[in-house]
Amino acid sequence: MTRPDTQHERILAIAPTTKGFGFAVLEDETTLVNWGVKSVRGNKNEGALKKIEELFSQYNPTVVVFENYRLTTFRRSARVRLFGDELSRTAKAAGIAVKTFSVQDVRGVFFGAEQGTKHAIAENLVQRFPDELGYLLPRKRLPWTTEDHRMAIFDAVALAMTFSMPETLGGR
Amino acid sequence: MPSFENCSRFAIVAYAFNPMTLTRLPNYLRASRKRLALSQDEVAFLMGGRGGAKISRYEAFARKPSLETAIAFEVIYGKPVSELFAGLRQKVTQGVQDRAKVLKHRVSFQGSDRRSQRRRAAITSLVAPTSGTTEKS
Repeated sequence: MTRPDTQHERILAIAPTTKGFGFAVLEDETTLVNWGVKSVRGNKNEGALKKIEELFSQYNPTVVVFENYRLTTFRRSARVRLFGDELSRTAKAAGIAVKTFSVQDVRGVFFGAEQGTKHAIAENLVQRFPDELGYLLPRKRLPWTTEDHRMAIFDAVALAMTFSMPETLGGR
Repeated sequence: MPSFENCSRFAIVAYAFNPMTLTRLPNYLRASRKRLALSQDEVAFLMGGRGGAKISRYEAFARKPSLETAIAFEVIYGKPVSELFAGLRQKVTQGVQDRAKVLKHRVSFQGSDRRSQRRRAAITSLVAPTSGTTEKS
């Protein structure tokens, strides 16, 4: 398969959380320009969209990537589903292309046909971006503990990588 | 505006291929700082400042640093200024190249002695740099 020239794209990936959202800005396929989590108080969707618009104006992304909220397998709250709709509308209004991926798409890119966990994806990303993400990797979650909020950063980077270079990540 | 949701990457890339959106960011200070896990206050302290507000403005492209500050960034982040301020460098390079074209046209009618030839070669190298830099060895 011939790859399109994605060398000069700037990808903004968004991963909504219960407190706000995680984000990653990827440039030239392999350069992380910014990454982090932003928390929002009050109306979460409205506040998050305001912060995302700031990211739009600062980084001028060519494409916004987030989880496909329209699938029946999308296991998130109604609020996050609505957020997906609003984010899609906001991006289009700003003239930015939108691309969504399911969790299965992301896992398929990282593990192929094999099974894998979010933590394994995060470890894979740490190998790719040791300076940027190495110090952010939380401990492996125990079955009775809640997920670390920093995992949203890894979710966002994984989405960006799924868009950016799906055929080069390979299996485990 | 066409809807790109769940369409192929090729269509998105084709649409996104807009020269205005492909320019580099004015600077990469935030990424460089985050790579070192430093806070804005800590960087400000290293630079001899008090708080991180100014660092925040540099990182948000709201303020351009002085030459002294730019060199301090180079020292702290261990990257050359031209890499840290890639977008600014791109902009300045473009300006120099545009003006070099005008100057090339101007000097093309002047004498053919060795000095003029040397000058023309220097200006020509600015118009079409060979290795991404404006200088030739």
